[in-house]
Amino acid sequence: MIDLANVKISLENGLDVIVHEDHGCPIVAVNIWYHVGSKNERPGRTGFAHLFEHLMFEGSEHHDQGYFQPLQEAGGALNGSTNSDRTNYWEVVPRDALDRALWMESDRMGYLLPALTQNKLDTQRDVVLNERRQSYENRPYGFAGMALMATHYPSSHPYHWPTIGFPDDIRSAGLDDVRDFFETYYHPANASLVIAGDVRTEEAVSAVHDYFGDLATGPVPAEVVVPDVENGSQVVMFEDNVECPRLYLSWPSAALLGKYDAELDLVADILAGGKSARLYRTLVHDRRIATDVSVQQSSRELSGLFSIVATAIPGTTLNEIETVITEELARMLASDVTEHELQRSRNRFEADFSWRQQSVGGFGGKADQLNAYNTFVGTPNFFSSDFERYRQVTTSSLREALKSQLRPETRVALSVVPAEARSAALSESRHIEMF
Amino acid sequence: MPVDRNTLPPLCTPTVLHFPQIACETLDNGIQLRVIQDRENALVTFVLLLRTGSVADPVNCYGLAGLTAALVSEGSSSHTTRSFHEALGDIGGFFGADVTSDSTVLSITALTRYSEQALALLVDVVTKPRFDDEDIERVRDLRLNRIAQLRHSAVSVADRAFLHAVYGSHPYGHLSIGTVSGLKQITSDEIRAFHERHYRPEQWRLVAVGDVCSSGLAGVVDKITSNLDEIPATQKIEDVVPGPPKCPGNRLVFVPREGSVQTELRLGLLGVSRHCPDLDGLTVMNTVLGGQFVSRLNLNLREDKGFTYGVHSSFDARRGRGPFTIQAAVDVASTADAIREIVREIRGIRNTRPTTKDELGLARSALTRGFARSYETAVQVARAAMRLALFDLPDDEYTTFVPRINRVEIEDVTRVASDYLNDENLIAVVVGPPIVSESLGDLGFGSPSESLID
Repeated sequence: MIDLANVKISLENGLDVIVHEDHGCPIVAVNIWYHVGSKNERPGRTGFAHLFEHLMFEGSEHHDQGYFQPLQEAGGALNGSTNSDRTNYWEVVPRDALDRALWMESDRMGYLLPALTQNKLDTQRDVVLNERRQSYENRPYGFAGMALMATHYPSSHPYHWPTIGFPDDIRSAGLDDVRDFFETYYHPANASLVIAGDVRTEEAVSAVHDYFGDLATGPVPAEVVVPDVENGSQVVMFEDNVECPRLYLSWPSAALLGKYDAELDLVADILAGGKSARLYRTLVHDRRIATDVSVQQSSRELSGLFSIVATAIPGTTLNEIETVITEELARMLASDVTEHELQRSRNRFEADFSWRQQSVGGFGGKADQLNAYNTFVGTPNFFSSDFERYRQVTTSSLREALKSQLRPETRVALSVVPAEARSAALSESRHIEMF
Repeated sequence: MPVDRNTLPPLCTPTVLHFPQIACETLDNGIQLRVIQDRENALVTFVLLLRTGSVADPVNCYGLAGLTAALVSEGSSSHTTRSFHEALGDIGGFFGADVTSDSTVLSITALTRYSEQALALLVDVVTKPRFDDEDIERVRDLRLNRIAQLRHSAVSVADRAFLHAVYGSHPYGHLSIGTVSGLKQITSDEIRAFHERHYRPEQWRLVAVGDVCSSGLAGVVDKITSNLDEIPATQKIEDVVPGPPKCPGNRLVFVPREGSVQTELRLGLLGVSRHCPDLDGLTVMNTVLGGQFVSRLNLNLREDKGFTYGVHSSFDARRGRGPFTIQAAVDVASTADAIREIVREIRGIRNTRPTTKDELGLARSALTRGFARSYETAVQVARAAMRLALFDLPDDEYTTFVPRINRVEIEDVTRVASDYLNDENLIAVVVGPPIVSESLGDLGFGSPSESLID
């Protein structure tokens, strides 16, 4: 019931093209994934994949002005984003503006460099430095995510650095870096295009041939090298401009769609999905020592990170919070997850799958999901196979996942505390510097 | 066939969106029901709108409407917090309780095969909340703690300071989470009284979305709500639509924030209500000024100068006159220049650089051609139906949108900019490191008044 009918073809230059018809609303989503993210960067040039994404909106050879104007004029919405594994770009336009969206996307895929200037790079570098301040540096707990990754992974690991990058690296990026990056990663053989919405498949395929068929291909980029060591268990802390101490417990875990990935999603929901979940109940409702708790299996291409985050009521130490969490994990391991509890979480995931199928485009819409499956699995229509993973989970596979994935020897515990409440940090925490 | 890369494909005649049908009926017990039938949907959503929000907070109890709504998801006479949320999980359900100045929206989304249970759960907690003392204390403490945490967020500090600067003690001057002193004073009796007064069925505007058939649903609603009439009738509640506050004139409020690596800016003034006769002109004007990526403000401050990741302007048209706000986070060294540029753009669109024909065409085209996108999903349509109910808008509000926008001309845009963006009444809020105050003296706002984070 959750599969999406689609047609997939590959052009001679290597571009994957996927078309999904949905005639519910007279709009069409165009969505392109380039299989490149911050994991493909090198130390000294972190943040570059994202800075490059900004330059994709500054014009190309045949439209050397802002990318937004012709598409907003057409009634379109558009955006792009970069993460560790991929960079995506999308437009949602009225169906009569599909040609315009394809014209614009194909021009920047094929002809970005002739329009590149130092001035564009300089301005977008300032914009990105401001984005970094706004989204991370100036936010309470804003550094926690990057601190966790840097602590878990050695500096040679592609997940060690944050996608936004380190400021000095962002400042050092030059035009040569832009050219190299474009030639290596921005070509049809490293991209996947989805067209979804109020369109006829044959018309969409024919238009794609017209706009993208003559673009030059490039070599498939080399796989990134991943050192097989992690940093192991650590207890760290830093001070921040915050009201309450917050504890982060995290473990490197199953990669995207890997063994135990679905189990850990369900574990996360059983622990903190809603107010009847185990950790919400104990920490927030019954003992009232935390203001909130969230648990997430964040799975990426190379590996995942399972994290438990709880904010302490002032006056509570993070040691107390940690004890409660550790006890709850031990209880789950000792086998008292019920079949009913598991089915409840499965139902929530079933609802979530349907929720994500309401929009054809945008971040997380149907086009984006088809591209995600195509990029990471090679099959755009992976919805029911994906959901089947959750059906296959049993109470005993949950226990196996807990046992094999959440091991004490790989755990990082991070305390973020107000300067005046240093003592609330977990005992024997090592102070780390922020970046 | 090779394409012509030198010519951008022209725009054709826009496709007309047939706005989805919204079936309306009023049930015997006064409940207004709207149904958006979407056969394909594997989920069902019920949205219950009450036309009251933080405007109804008594002056010494800021936060009452918000706290009452938050307590609704803590169970009912037949459910504890835990059993309610377990029942919710069993049907793949998600519950929401959102309070704005003018509205309280309680909603539930669940798998379609559990439609009846979903509606029953929503009605159960809305009509028979527990309001146990223990729950009240716990939820109150969580919200007090939330307020304390928000004092560390530059965004939240700026939003609060701006509302306070525009509205003072007016009912729109505080957020629905309330204030520390207000929350502390709320008694359980006041919560019960608020619920009894504002949550009565005849005040419900219920929207059902998904694979629900109108007549069948009405029957279910009737069945579930049939015993509600026994609640003794209280006096009919007045419709709270606050009048405008006094305009305080041009001024700048500075909130020092130690350690800030950026300045959080708000510039704006008292805006308009949802019934303002110039709303279409203002919508077009705002699109040109700061409502989209290719607006004057964003192209200037972001794309030309790199001062910010993004700047945006909006009219928050409420039942009464809501605020007009320009917001941006800018780098510290550019704070004064950013404010100068924003003021220059406001003066520009009012008279020194009126909207051009191209800008008007772009704005009208973006709004009218982009219209269909806003009503793609059933939930988007449900929100639209809710706005009809909240603001008493005519049923054809959405079908007349495109022709109304197409009638807006350059003179209209310039006139509304001149009438509604009086640069003698601008309020600026600056949240940034203490050092930034030195640069704020000669911006034409007088000397900055300092406001501490309370």
